[in-house]
Amino acid sequence: MLQAVVTPTSLGDLRKALKLAPKATLVAGGTLVMPIINEGAHGISTLVSLSKLGIDAVSFKKGIATIGAAAPIAELARHSELKFLSAVIDSIGSPTLRNMATVGGNLFAYGDLAVCLVALDATAIVVNAKSKRSAPVEEIIKKGVKAGELVTHVSFAIPKPGTFKYAKASRRALNSASIVTVAAIIPLVKGMVADCRIALGGVAAKPVRAKSVEKLLNAKLFDEKTVRAAAAAAAKEIAPFTDAYASAWYRARVTPVHICRALLGDAAGKS
Amino acid sequence: MKGSVVSITLNGVERETLVAPGTTLLNLLREHQSLTGTRRGCDQGSCGSCTVLVDGKAKLACLIPVETIAGSRVETVENLALNNELHPLQQAFVEGFATQCGFCTSGMIMAAKGLLSVNPRPSRADVIRAISGNVCRCTGYESIVDAILAAAAGMGKPLKKSA
Repeated sequence: MLQAVVTPTSLGDLRKALKLAPKATLVAGGTLVMPIINEGAHGISTLVSLSKLGIDAVSFKKGIATIGAAAPIAELARHSELKFLSAVIDSIGSPTLRNMATVGGNLFAYGDLAVCLVALDATAIVVNAKSKRSAPVEEIIKKGVKAGELVTHVSFAIPKPGTFKYAKASRRALNSASIVTVAAIIPLVKGMVADCRIALGGVAAKPVRAKSVEKLLNAKLFDEKTVRAAAAAAAKEIAPFTDAYASAWYRARVTPVHICRALLGDAAGKS
Repeated sequence: MKGSVVSITLNGVERETLVAPGTTLLNLLREHQSLTGTRRGCDQGSCGSCTVLVDGKAKLACLIPVETIAGSRVETVENLALNNELHPLQQAFVEGFATQCGFCTSGMIMAAKGLLSVNPRPSRADVIRAISGNVCRCTGYESIVDAILAAAAGMGKPLKKSA
C-alpha cells in the first residue's frame, strides 16, 4: 500500500526524498507505474514524482536538441525542429496518452522513441547524488543506470533533412504496440551510404543496433538491391519474442521487410 | 500513512480535498467530489473512459496521483452544459445517436474537447486519431466521429441570438 507520494521541485529535494526512501519508485507521466498501482498488491510504498522537477523542457542550440526526461511525448510535436519525428510521435499510444507519457518513460520502457534515440546516437545526461555524467543512450539501454542515478535529459544532433527513416509495424493503424520498429539515419554522399545507423525495436527485449545491416550498406550505392540484401542480415541481430501481438517467428520473418519499407518507402517493401 | 490536502481548480471552482497517498484523480472525482460523469473503465490507461482535461489537455484520470497535479485546473464532463443547454459536442452526440450504452461517452466527449481546443476544424483523420485511445465496445465509432465533426462545424458558426 502506498504510504507517501512526494513531488520534489528541485534535484536537491529529489535527493533528499530518495535518501529518506531509497526504495521509492519514480513516476513521471504515470502511464507505466500507475497501472501497476491500480492493479493492487504492488509492494510500492513511496512514489517520487518527477513531474515538477523542471526537467520537462525542450531546447535547441547549434543544431542539438536537448529534451528533458519528464517532457511529455506530445510536447515534442510542438517544435518545428523535431518535425522529422512526427511519424514517430503519431505512432506512440494515443494523443491522450502522449499528453502524459514522457520521453524518459519511453526510453526505459524500450519504446519506439527509444529506438529512434539509438538511431540518432543520442546522449543521456545522468545525475546522481553528487555528480553528473553523460553516456550514449545506446549504452544506457544496454546496461541501465546505477542505483541512485537518474536520466534527466537526452540530447541529439538534428539529422540532415531526408536522412531519418522510420517504420513501425503494428496490429492496428493507431495506438498499438510494436511488432517491428525500424529507425535509421542514412546519410548519402553522391548516392553512396556514408556511416549509417539502424536501430530495431520490438524484436528483442530491448532496442538493438542492426550493425550487420549497417556494415553491408556503408560505402555502397543506395539502391533497392543493396538494401534488400543488407536487410536480410538483420536476422543475426534480433532475439524476437512471442506476445499477444505477434509470434517470434512472424517478427523474424517480417523484420527485413520493414527495414526495406523504412529505407525505401512503402511500395518497395512489398515483395 | 499520512493523508494530505490537495487543492485543484475543479470545473472552475477551487477545491481542497483530504486524500490518502496516491489517490488517483479518478477516485477524487468519483469518490470525494461525487462527480461520477467521469467513468472508471479499465483503471489501466487502456480504455479512455476516464478522460478529463488537466490544464486544458486530455489526460487519463485513473493514472494521475492527485499530489502530482496540485494547483492544476481540471475540467470534467459535468462542466460542459451551461444554463440547461447542452454543449455543442453533447448536443451533436444526442442528435447523431452517437451514444449507445453511453459508458464511453464522457471520455469521448472530453477527448474531443481537447482536440477542438487546439484544432477547431479537424479533418476526419484528426478526429479518429484524437479518440484512438478511447474504446467504445458498442463499436459505434462512425457515429461518434460524425458527431464530433458535426459539433466542430456547428461551433465554427456564429452563436444563435438566444445563446
